[in-house]
Amino acid sequence: MNGHPGDLLSALLDGELTPGEEGGVRAHLEECAECGRELRLIGEARSSVRALPPVDPPFGFFERMLHPRARWARAGVAALAAGAAASVAVMALAAPREAPVSPHVGQFVDAHTASASTSGDPISELTPAAAPVSFQR
Amino acid sequence: MAGEGAPTWEELARSHGRFLYTVAYRLTGNREDAEDLVQEVLLRVRRGLETYQPGSMEGWLSRIATNAFLDDVRRRRRRPEDLLPEDPDWVLPPAMGADEALAAEVLSDDVQAALQRLPEDFRAAVVLCDVVGLPYQEISQTLGVPVGTVRSRIHRGRALLREALTRA
Repeated sequence: MNGHPGDLLSALLDGELTPGEEGGVRAHLEECAECGRELRLIGEARSSVRALPPVDPPFGFFERMLHPRARWARAGVAALAAGAAASVAVMALAAPREAPVSPHVGQFVDAHTASASTSGDPISELTPAAAPVSFQR
Repeated sequence: MAGEGAPTWEELARSHGRFLYTVAYRLTGNREDAEDLVQEVLLRVRRGLETYQPGSMEGWLSRIATNAFLDDVRRRRRRPEDLLPEDPDWVLPPAMGADEALAAEVLSDDVQAALQRLPEDFRAAVVLCDVVGLPYQEISQTLGVPVGTVRSRIHRGRALLREALTRA
């Protein structure tokens, strides 16, 4: 190998070299302490990112995106209250603040819990999110 | 779920929502932008489900998310006040030879902060490789650059990350 392998060190860690390239890089590493050190540092950075945990979306985030009716209902109530007299305000106060929870929610929870504990893909193998407890099933 | 036909919009959110949100958060670095990015991805998915090719759903979602993220970065770059450095000169610094040892445990917040300091093109390559786990060939197709460029961005991105974590 002519010169230092540079970018090929990351490709080596990722298993992205051809057998010929890999042989050349490994031979170089046996003789070059500098590249051995770079390989170690790059490996640490790589491991740090791979160890990052999954991030849970805010509670109900996808529900609100998929079924925004509850939000529309609240917005409608607010508009009525803003535009009308006290009697309308009373009505708004009496109106339910939350639309009834869709029966799909329970299915989502089940599916999510199941998928989060299913082995086979790297994300799903990580710790399952706690199942929400506030739903009326 | 992969296999027959295109998934429904709800199936996507149910089965892959957490994965998609994680990728969006790692790319953008904050919850507000991550939520905007996820919404944009689902809009694109809704428009483009008919083009879905059965295969890795998470790979497909990651590609859409990365492209939406980089589209947004380019849009912001057109506004002078948001101009970002095209080619920062803090690439593979010679100081990397110093003998600082990385702390045995680096908090994920520090790693996320270091990711944020990467130029977006490097960050996208590193996230697709190390968060999503795509092979270089797929990263190359996603980013529309040769595999050699993917190699270079991943390696330089990791070198910059290591440098930032040493200083953290």
